[in-house]
Amino acid sequence: MVGNARKSTSTFARAENPPVDLGLLRRILYSVFLLVMLLLLWEGLKAFSASNNYELQIGSATIDLSIFSDMQLPHLGDIARAFTEPAQRNGPPLYSTLIENAGYTLQSAVGGFLLGGFFGFLLAVLFAHSRLMQGGCLPYVVASQTVPLIAIAPMIVIWFSRAGNSALSIPVIAAYLTFFPVTIYTLRGLTSVPETALELMQSYAASQWEIFVKLRLPNALPQIFTALKISATASVVGAIIGELPSGFQNGLGVTILNFARYYNQSPPRLWATIAAAGLVGILFFLVIVLVERLIVRWQREDSD
Amino acid sequence: MSAVISIQNVTKMFRGSDGLLVHALDNINLNVEEGEFVSLIGPSGCGKSTLLRTIADLIQPTSGKITVNNKTAAQARKDREYGFVFQSSTLYDWRTVIKNVELPLEIMKWPKNKRDARAREMLGLVELSGFEDKYPWQLSGGMQQRVSIARALAFEPNILLMDEPFGALDEMTRERMNNELLRIWTAIPRMTVVFVTHSIAEAVYLSDHVVVLSPRPGRLATIIDINLPRPRGPETRDHEDYFRLTSQVRHALRSGVRDEVLE
Repeated sequence: MVGNARKSTSTFARAENPPVDLGLLRRILYSVFLLVMLLLLWEGLKAFSASNNYELQIGSATIDLSIFSDMQLPHLGDIARAFTEPAQRNGPPLYSTLIENAGYTLQSAVGGFLLGGFFGFLLAVLFAHSRLMQGGCLPYVVASQTVPLIAIAPMIVIWFSRAGNSALSIPVIAAYLTFFPVTIYTLRGLTSVPETALELMQSYAASQWEIFVKLRLPNALPQIFTALKISATASVVGAIIGELPSGFQNGLGVTILNFARYYNQSPPRLWATIAAAGLVGILFFLVIVLVERLIVRWQREDSD
Repeated sequence: MSAVISIQNVTKMFRGSDGLLVHALDNINLNVEEGEFVSLIGPSGCGKSTLLRTIADLIQPTSGKITVNNKTAAQARKDREYGFVFQSSTLYDWRTVIKNVELPLEIMKWPKNKRDARAREMLGLVELSGFEDKYPWQLSGGMQQRVSIARALAFEPNILLMDEPFGALDEMTRERMNNELLRIWTAIPRMTVVFVTHSIAEAVYLSDHVVVLSPRPGRLATIIDINLPRPRGPETRDHEDYFRLTSQVRHALRSGVRDEVLE
């Protein structure tokens, strides 16, 4: 008994005070390494293509390398510089325009994330408690995602502007994309409860509500967070796509449309905007990761 | 002495995953008296876990009658008359050790301060004081199972139903847990234990009676009374009668299995 306790205590010491988290450090170094490789590949391909006049002769075949020209794939330095230069004559630098527009998009994305998350969770709870509902409705939920978002976005914009509430249309479009992973993952989490864990609750004569709150929901939390991480990035994509047909003046989607229309004037501007859109998604994703760390605290350190 | 658990003509049939009807239990009759330690032993597939679950009202028998404390098994479950210990510790990953022990008390609406005090007392009983705030994964298998015993006893049931609780532990840990269980059982007066196992040594060491079941369909082959003196300890395993009784159980198991290979 004593020996057992002592041995286990030493295990805790190791688990709680890891000398250095080599795993995390290694992961960060590895991603930085991959990013550097990608950037080197980008510039390397450009340099190689330029030195060959954007044509490659292999035997009798000629390969067109013009997609690596400055017009189609700007230099990384030019893209970086575009952030600091005004997008319009005498206007503010591009980065401040982007931040302002990203703010609009992020607002819609968060709205859509919350709306879709709530609705998706509700559906999952409904499906988890009714086999009939699950069997009848789940195919339509899946089918809803086969309709391209870009096809229904204009419809949603029209509906909401007719109803005099056009500002709501973008969050709703984003929600259309975000509710789906939440429903699927939450449903799996709520229903994948070990048989004995359920029997334990039955042995206490626990009510359905107690089984839900004390067993099904906490059991589903890791999977719910997996869904929320997917939904966070999807909501940004949804908001940008929603902005495209909206006719609004603000948002990253609107900015992308503008810079795409005037691409020939300055290709780096569009690339800078694309990078900004990506950053917004990553930012939202990281916020969810942080919240997950705070709430799902019981998992062993090595499990992700 | 009165029968705390009374099993009369219990038969259980269910449809297996291949769609065929499985005859799991065939006309079982068994009485367990108050304060007794009774083991159910038999090869895999003899229905010993099924029998335990019918007592717990987790499974309903196809026919026959079960009373627990003179109530139907269903009423006894609603009145929280028994604690159940599973083969896997079935601790909830997201709860600390003490919160796991408090789980039944929360469901039974104990006030918070009473809950906390009782959980600490139970962890003391299973000698895990100091581990209150650990998560289950931070504990060894034997410690996890001790937490689950503390949880099963927390709400003061007078019956403990155990389904191969030490089956996943190594031999050394299992013997230590056997001693722990006897100590806990002795510490709580009039506590009745029904213990499912496939270990002959464990069944003989712990029990007042060993109920031998034969497989397909699960039938009650024989009941062997274990008259080894109590309190029992490591020296019990060297007792002359201990060897005699283990071989008696072994022979009963063999004759029950007939032509089939013992698993």
